[in-house]
This record gives sequence, C-alpha cells and structure tokens, in this order.
Amino acid sequence: MPGLNTSLSIAVQALEANQGALNVTSNNIANVNTPGYSRQVAILNEAPTFQENNITFGGGVTLEQFQSVRDQLLQLRIYEETQQQGNSETQFNSLSQIEGIFSDPSQGVGGALSAFFNSLSQLSTNPTDANARQAVLTSANNLANSFHQAASSLTTIGTGLDQSVPQTVDQINRLTSQIATLNGQVAQMQGLGKDPGTVQDQRDELIRQLSGLVNISVTQTEHGLTLTTANGVPLVVANQSYGLQANANNSVLEHVFSAQGQDITSQIQGGQLGGTLQVRDQALPQLFTQLNDLASQFATSFNMQHAAGFDAAGNAGQNFFNPLPTTTDAAASFGVAITDPGLIAASSDGSAGSNGNLEQLVALRNQQLPAGANPMDLYSNLVLQVGNLGANAKAAVTATNLSLQQLTDQRSSVSGVSLDEETTNMIKYQRAYEAGARVVTTVDSMLQTLMSMGVTT
Amino acid sequence: MRVNPDMSGDILAAIWQTQNQENTALQQMSTGKRVNVPSDDPLAAAQMVGNQDQSNRADQYLQNIDTLTSQLQTADTAIGSAVAAITQAITLGVQGSTGTLSDANRQQIVQNLLGIQNELVQLANTSVGGSYLFGGTASTAPPYTLDSTSPSGVTYNGNSGTNTVQVADGLNLQTNMPGSQLFQNSAGDVFGSLQQLITALQSGTPADAGTATNQLRTAFDSLTGQRIFYGNAVNQLTSTQTFLQQEQVTLKSQANNLVGADLTKAATDLTRATTAHDAALAAAAKILPTSLLDYLK
Repeated sequence: MPGLNTSLSIAVQALEANQGALNVTSNNIANVNTPGYSRQVAILNEAPTFQENNITFGGGVTLEQFQSVRDQLLQLRIYEETQQQGNSETQFNSLSQIEGIFSDPSQGVGGALSAFFNSLSQLSTNPTDANARQAVLTSANNLANSFHQAASSLTTIGTGLDQSVPQTVDQINRLTSQIATLNGQVAQMQGLGKDPGTVQDQRDELIRQLSGLVNISVTQTEHGLTLTTANGVPLVVANQSYGLQANANNSVLEHVFSAQGQDITSQIQGGQLGGTLQVRDQALPQLFTQLNDLASQFATSFNMQHAAGFDAAGNAGQNFFNPLPTTTDAAASFGVAITDPGLIAASSDGSAGSNGNLEQLVALRNQQLPAGANPMDLYSNLVLQVGNLGANAKAAVTATNLSLQQLTDQRSSVSGVSLDEETTNMIKYQRAYEAGARVVTTVDSMLQTLMSMGVTT
Repeated sequence: MRVNPDMSGDILAAIWQTQNQENTALQQMSTGKRVNVPSDDPLAAAQMVGNQDQSNRADQYLQNIDTLTSQLQTADTAIGSAVAAITQAITLGVQGSTGTLSDANRQQIVQNLLGIQNELVQLANTSVGGSYLFGGTASTAPPYTLDSTSPSGVTYNGNSGTNTVQVADGLNLQTNMPGSQLFQNSAGDVFGSLQQLITALQSGTPADAGTATNQLRTAFDSLTGQRIFYGNAVNQLTSTQTFLQQEQVTLKSQANNLVGADLTKAATDLTRATTAHDAALAAAAKILPTSLLDYLK
C-alpha cells in the first residue's frame, strides 16, 4: 500500500507536467504569427506503474517531449509552388515594364512609322514644297528616335535583369550556407531521438525562401536533407553547402556556375533566378530580333527604292537611312543619313516636280519585307508577342498565387497555431494544475492530521 | 478535422481580389478602354496597330484630297479664264476675217489679240505655292515664255510628265496635265493658232485670218475637251472623300470593338466588385477579432 508521500509525489509530477504543457501553449501563442512556425504539442505519458499486493497503482504522469506537428510532403509541395511563383512573378514584373512602350498604337515605332509614311504621302501632293520636305525628315528622325527608345528600354530591362543575377546568386549562397548549418543540427537532434522542432522550422522556412529564388529538389536522407538543383547539382549535403558562382563581368551576360565550375545557366528554370534568366535569354532576345529585323529590313528596302529616284537637284537618290550592316543592334543604330531636305529623292524622272518615286516609297507600306510581312504587320506581330508574353506571365502569377494560397492554408490547418485551441488547452492545463495543487494541500492536511495524532492540545 | 486557424491569408487574398476587380472596372470606365496594355488582350492590341495605321492613312488621304482639290480647282479656274479669253479671240478673229476692215481697225484687233496672247501665257503659268500647274513635272519654273521667233509665239519649258497621288488604298489619281497636252496637242494648238491669226491679220489676207480663226476654234474645242479631266478628278476626289469619311467611322467603331470598354458592363462590374469588396471587409471585421478569449472572464 503506497503511502501519502507517493500521492504527494504524483501530485507534484502533475504540477510539473501541466506547467510544462502550459509552456508549450505559451510558446505556441507567442509564435502565432511567426512565418514557418509549426505548432508544438506536449506529449504526456503515464508514468510507470508499480504493484503492491497484487494491486497495480498508477505512477502519475510524465512529460515525454514537445513535438512539432508538421506534414513534410505538404512542405515539399509548397517548395515546388514557391519556385513557380518566384519564376512567374519575376517574369511578370520585367515583362510589364516592356509593355509600356508598346501600349499606345498611336505612339512608339508603330505610330512613328505610320506618321513617316503619311509625311511622304503629304509630300507627294506637292513634291517641291520645302516645308513638306522638312516634315519628311522630321518624321524620319522621330521614327529613328522611336526605334532607339524601344531598343534602349529593352536593353535597360535586360541589363537590370543581368545585374540581378549575381545578387540572386549571393542570396542563394547565403541561404544554402544557413540551411546547411541548421540541417546539421536537425540531423544531430534526430540522431539523439529528439524532436528538432524550432530548428527544423527555421530550416524549412529558409528552404522555402530558397525555393523562391531557384528551382531545387529536396531529398530526405539519413544525414538530413539533401538539396540539389533540378538537374542534380548539389547545393546542400548534410551540413555542407556548395555555393554557386556568377561571373561578375560587365561586358558579357552573367552565367551561373556550380561549385565544381560547371555552367548550369541553362538548367536553372524555377524561382526568381530562373525567371530572370528566361526573360533575359529567351523573351528579350526574341523581341530584340523582331525589332532589329524590322529596323534593318525597312531601312534596306527604303534605301533601295530611294536610290531609284532623283533628288530636287536631279541627282540619283543617296541612302536615306544609314545602312545597317549587322542586325544585332539595328534598332539602336537606326538613323537618318541625310539632313538636307533637298536630297529626298521624290522624283522618278529627274524633274524637281515629279513625285513618282515618292509614290513608290509610299507603296513600301504594303510591301512584304524579307521577314515575311509588311513593316506595320511586323510591328503588329511584335506587339502581339509582347502581349502574349505578358498575358502568359500574368496568368501564371494568378494561378501559382492561388495554389500557393491553398497549400499554405493546408499547411496551416496542420501546423498553424489556433488561438482558440491554445486557449482551451490553457484552461485545461490550468484546471489540471489547480486540481494537482489541491491534491497537494489535501495530502498536506492529511499528513498534518497524521502528525497531530496522539498530540494533546 | 482540424481547419486552418489563420484566416488572415484567405481574407487578405479575397480583399485583394475584389480590390483588383474594382481597379480594373474603374480603369476601364476612366480610360474607356478594355485593353490598356498589350497583355490585356494581345490579339486586340496587335490588331489595333493595323487599325491605327489605317486610320492615320485615311486622315492623310483626306488631307491629300483637300490639297489636290484646291490645286485642281485653281487649274480649272485658270483654264476657265483661258477659255473665256480664247472665245474673245475667236470673236475678234471673225471680225478680222471680214474684208471690210480698215487698217486701223485691223491693228486694233491685233493689239487686242496680243493682249489675249499675253493673258493666256500668264494663265498657263498659274502656280500654287511656287509649283507651276501646267509645266508637267518640271514645275519649278514658269512653263511658258513669249517667244516672237517661235511659230507658236511661245516656248514651252515644261515637260510631258504627270504625277499621280494616292488618295485611297489602291487609288492613285493623276493630278496634273502638262501644258503641252492641254494647250498644244495634235487636235489643236491654242498658242499656235492664235499666233497664226495674229500673223494673218498683220500680213495676210482676210481668208488667212478666217482659216486661222477656224483653227483656233478647233483648239478651243480641244481645250474644253481636255478640261473635263479636272472636273472628273475633282468629282472622283469628292466621292473618295465621302468613302474615306465613312471608312473613318467604320475604323473608329472597329477600334471600339477591339479595345473599347463596354461601359455598361464595366459599371455593373464595378458595382459587383464593390459589393464583393464590402462583403469581404465586413466578413474580415467580423471574423478576425473574435476568439475564445472574448468569452472567458
């Protein structure tokens, strides 16, 4: 038969266990808004029983451990979706900057091209009119400026993206080295049979941040997590991180190298870095090619027709636009070659009053360039391209945000702190603590009763 | 089943979404456009490039028509004056070919005819903005100069070139007629027959004067025949103008279909979005502050 002391020690255990459990509740409440925090639960267990006279007596309660509640699979899905989100948001942000210069059809290259043809048409009604000749030169220069503007804004966006590559790589390296440290700690604690709780929360949150930057693949091994790029280039193995490198070179585009020096630029597809590289290496060059083709082919065909005519003095037409030998920077170097309005080769018969060649030049409006369409249609294709890129990125942003929100909700339904739940627990532990304390006072008074036996007052 | 205890994320997403819908509807209503950047509707934005260009062309064609109409009317007026002058010359020629005239009268007629010759040269040198209308494409210098050594009494400095100007897609209209074709063609030569009449009256017989007068009549008929070109051209410009004005209306309505906002729909969208936004805010205000703690004393 266990004595009063046993009851007392069981009651004290109850006080300790409930106090400990209240600690968990308190910690949960404190971290209710901490990103990546997984709620913890106190694992209470019956203490070993003991037997006396064939009766089994309960041994009280013990607080086994605090355990974080998490769903690792859900966590992996969140990483994947975060990569998509980082990618599409980066693409959307840079592409919507491009859209600005292609938004108003009466402005930009399209508007300037239209105005240039109109000025030629205007001149054709009176080819000897000096003002109308000057107007042709003015609108030709406007066209050149529009090409420059379009080219320079594409270049600026490209340069901005390029400069962000080494910055993002730095961020990635900082994160992987932190993750490696935490990864080591998690493995160590798990090895000791402890719940890594907070450390794991921190590590998972950092991996989530890393997913926003680059596409990674996460594998669980006995030494903790292994993080690699989607193509298997290691980033974190156990407590070791492998930094990526960007060649910080101003003259060429930044490439990304693995720690072993392998060029992995083309393999990076997800996350902010993937989005950056995709816009820089695919979308922008595509738009640039279309713009440059338009500029160089238009200048070439215009010059050819211009040379077939005669200027105001009856001389054969010179180059109207600067010839563009290479197409890589055609839009940027597009320029008007003549400054004297008299040099416009309006005439087809050598007389100053003839407008025959102007009519031919105006007709270029409807003539197919080598790229397969007339100048205005080529520009229209460019606008379509810009619009499609932007619309796709916008749709991707909306879709990934939605599914990420759902995943976050799911994760929160498993691991999120509910204040109502914690409050309930708090009351539960408080009551149990009070009850335990009452047992202590009761046992105490019983002991006093016992002590006072035989004592005369 | 445990539910997501943190509703702030969902509530914020709902508020942002309804706010975004409000912004979109508001933007459509304030700009009157459904497509404000190409990504709003890439195909419509691309088609708008063509629509805008077409509309710019129509504007330019209409401007060309104004300029050309004025040029053609000036030319026609000049020819009208020439026709009147030639009519007068023919009357004088008929008078001069009667055998009963005194030398003094004959001299008087010659003086009058020389005046008409001078007037015709001036009319044939009509210019608009420094460009001579009857010199062919050599329009920078006066096409006709008086020349007593020439059998026609004048020298033609112009050429036989013509210009055409585009006034609609696929319609290039001839805008000038060289003096050589107008005044001096194979059917009749205004200057030549006038000079012949003057010479006949100065040193020929009344019969010579009669022949020359008849030739002048033929040249007159030829000129009035050629003059129809101007009337036709102006008529064609007028009908093209009507066509282009209709086209502009069509293009505007096309543009509106492509990128214009349906204001009724935008207004309805705005109302709906505002209601949804209010509802989301109200729900947030109701849900977020409540917890079990409110009920514990």
